[in-house]
Amino acid sequence: MRKDLVFGMAGSGGDGIVSAGDSLLQAAAAEGYHGVMTKSFGSQIRGGESSCRVRISTTPILNPGGNLDVAVALNWEDFLKFGAELPVSGNTVVIYEAATNIKESEIPLVGVTPLQVIAVPIAAMAKETAGTERAKNTVVLGLIAGWFGIGAVAVMKGIRKKLAKKGEELVEANQRAFDAGRAFAMEHPLKASMNVLPSETKGAVKLITDGNDMCAAAAIFAGCQFFGGYPITPSTEIMQFFTEHVWRYGGSVLQAEDEIAGIGAAVGASFAGKKAMTATSGPGLSLKAEMMGLASIAELPLVIVDVQRGGPSTGLPTKTEQSDLFAAAFSAHGDVIRPVLAPTSVADTFRITVEAFNLAEYYQTPVIVLSDQEIASRKETLDPIDTSQFKILHRLRPAGADLQDYKRFKPTENHISPISHPGMLGGTYLASGIEHVESGAPTNSGSVHQRMNEKRTKKFDSLKERKDLFEVTGNPDAPIAMVAWGSVAGVCREALAMAQAEGLNVKLLVPYLLYPVAEGVYNDFFRSVQKGLVVEQTHLAQTYKLLRMHIDLPKGLKSLARSGANPFLPSEIVAALHLLLSELQRSHEGELQPQE
Amino acid sequence: MSATCELQPKDYKSDLKPIWCPGCGDFSVVQGIYRALAAIGRPAHEIAFVSGIGCSSRIPGYTTAYGFNSVHGRSLPIAQGIKMANPDLLVLAAGGDGDGFSIGGGHIAHLIRRNMDITYLVMDNQIYGLTKGQLSPTSQKGRVTCTSKYGSLEEPVNPLLYVLAYGAGFVAQASPTDLVGMAAVIEEAIRYPGFAFVNIQSPCVTYGEEAQQIKGLKAIQESLASLGHDSTDRLAAMDLAQHYGRKMHLGVFYRNPEPPPTYGDLVRERQDLLSKDALPRERILDLFIKK
Repeated sequence: MRKDLVFGMAGSGGDGIVSAGDSLLQAAAAEGYHGVMTKSFGSQIRGGESSCRVRISTTPILNPGGNLDVAVALNWEDFLKFGAELPVSGNTVVIYEAATNIKESEIPLVGVTPLQVIAVPIAAMAKETAGTERAKNTVVLGLIAGWFGIGAVAVMKGIRKKLAKKGEELVEANQRAFDAGRAFAMEHPLKASMNVLPSETKGAVKLITDGNDMCAAAAIFAGCQFFGGYPITPSTEIMQFFTEHVWRYGGSVLQAEDEIAGIGAAVGASFAGKKAMTATSGPGLSLKAEMMGLASIAELPLVIVDVQRGGPSTGLPTKTEQSDLFAAAFSAHGDVIRPVLAPTSVADTFRITVEAFNLAEYYQTPVIVLSDQEIASRKETLDPIDTSQFKILHRLRPAGADLQDYKRFKPTENHISPISHPGMLGGTYLASGIEHVESGAPTNSGSVHQRMNEKRTKKFDSLKERKDLFEVTGNPDAPIAMVAWGSVAGVCREALAMAQAEGLNVKLLVPYLLYPVAEGVYNDFFRSVQKGLVVEQTHLAQTYKLLRMHIDLPKGLKSLARSGANPFLPSEIVAALHLLLSELQRSHEGELQPQE
Repeated sequence: MSATCELQPKDYKSDLKPIWCPGCGDFSVVQGIYRALAAIGRPAHEIAFVSGIGCSSRIPGYTTAYGFNSVHGRSLPIAQGIKMANPDLLVLAAGGDGDGFSIGGGHIAHLIRRNMDITYLVMDNQIYGLTKGQLSPTSQKGRVTCTSKYGSLEEPVNPLLYVLAYGAGFVAQASPTDLVGMAAVIEEAIRYPGFAFVNIQSPCVTYGEEAQQIKGLKAIQESLASLGHDSTDRLAAMDLAQHYGRKMHLGVFYRNPEPPPTYGDLVRERQDLLSKDALPRERILDLFIKK
């Protein structure tokens, strides 16, 4: 019996692969398992290739897993398009459509001999039992239930609920397709059983959602009352959530005419005193740059979510990457610090989004939440979150004496000045993108500019002390280390556990705060480090370079960086750590050699 | 909302000294705004006045309202966010012809179709003054400027026809040649329940052409009232608006006699309807529970 199984399925757009993945995840959740599901598509509107990975485990899951345990190919052409996103190894059971007329010994996977290869007449079984090939995905779910013991009851319960409105006939057709799949599996047992252990938490309440919905829900929880945005993959679902729910909380949402108007309206709403947000992806972040600069100089709270995809320009619009880091930290001209936070999972997207609103309100600044396509669109099963443990901050309002001769940009000890809003008697001022004196009146003075730049940047000094925005795991004195953020952090967490199990003395730093760079936290972390890896999905090693810009990194710290849509496997990171260890040992031996 | 009556035009004047050139038309425009606001009587702190970049976009700072001198071309998106966040505010937007019809030209159509209760004042001087005299979107074809040494090759935008075509509920034109009329038109625009647009022919004394100075404008001005124009007739308004650039018609081109609900009205309706079955904020994650 296993604790963990990773499924990968691919087919054409109409094959219902993602819907099968959804059913499997929900069934697993109903049976008490932890699960993560990621989706990946070609960029075609309809049809084209479509895939999903579903990982199911008896323990909480940190990432969508590495090599597949089970690969399902409804046709090979589409399956192969996903390349490294659906990696098959010698431990993979490969199930594929028999109608492809490819012999089990001749499947088109180069350089790998899977554990077992099984051709199944999936389409024919669907046609025979349900009268339509559209039931192929239900046959697949039946095969999975039969071979791996997941969802025997819960899958059909879910399908029954989903199709209830469409009539009993359709439900029965799907039941027959499911039963046929299960029966096939029973008649053709696997060489070695791959059943998953029953979950110990069966019946517990589970949430299922993805990063985008979690982000929007967190924003509303944090008191966000306005969203302005423009549709862009892969962030659009955030706006969709707002259009459905924000009205219930006295808020509103504007689908603007363009990205600039979207953030512009959010800037306006914030000026008017409400918590406001926009969301976008790379191309939109580029367009919003000027408005972000405006919000910085006018010191207006604002949350900007950037769900990263492959760039530059249109790039890989449906695939994940971390290459917006420089743009998030540095876009918009002028001397400015704009905090950048990054979640690492659907679950912590809640905490990070709430934190983003708190930082925006406290520091009166735009804050970027740097999510990515994988986190945004992957679904996770979650244990309920106790929202009462989260503190919600509000901007500092002027009161009493502040409103006698009110000065919007009044110098204070922590460089944060009370902020009024239209409607507040005594608080009128001019907000502006032009440099201004304390009252808000425009100025061209160099000395005022110097002073105001200092105010606007120094206020973030305290942010760099926030150690709770960093996670250190592993042995604190380890000589070998990893640094990773965003969705890559989950892979490194698993690599850490694997490396520790293999006896490596290693640790991991996951920054949730990416910018400003908290030098102190990194210096503390690197003190024991002789060798290490900064692991990231960017071609130019942006994270490594951002750190080098601010910190004297240990000489043995290297970059492990690659372009998006080429996921890291925990196993390859462990292998890289082993290599570092042997380098370290060699260099120590070198030191012990007697000097000539 | 507070009591009317006691407020005077001077109550809306701030201490900032305008950067405008002596004789600039915008001095009259800001006077017109003070008078209109005093007539309406909303206290300054209940007014949000947004602008972009340009000579005329300095105008919010010269009032005692909450001002927002933002970035080039983006006064309207910001104004809309303000209005949506707090529909009780009186929201004004202002800027020049370049701000409104060139760099920000994409926004006005969408504000019009949303019909938010915002008044937009464009100070149209057919030139970029702040950057010292370049071609603007309302410059006449053939106009020689420092960026059109041999004359412009483009037809000008017609702001009046533009906003009428998109269905603006209130469209008017004013000029410093008639300060009393300008104040009255601005007041009427603000009172209109929905989006209102006023094009103000405000001469640039430094870079403007002779024909666009006060004397030249007076020579081509004609009040719409004197023509017997029916301001409820949108097609007649569009017909007259075609004379933009040749004649300067002053007054109200169009006022929708039956103003439709504003965006804010519709938002409130939706909020009232949906807030009845809202989960408390702290329980919003219950939406994700799978049973």
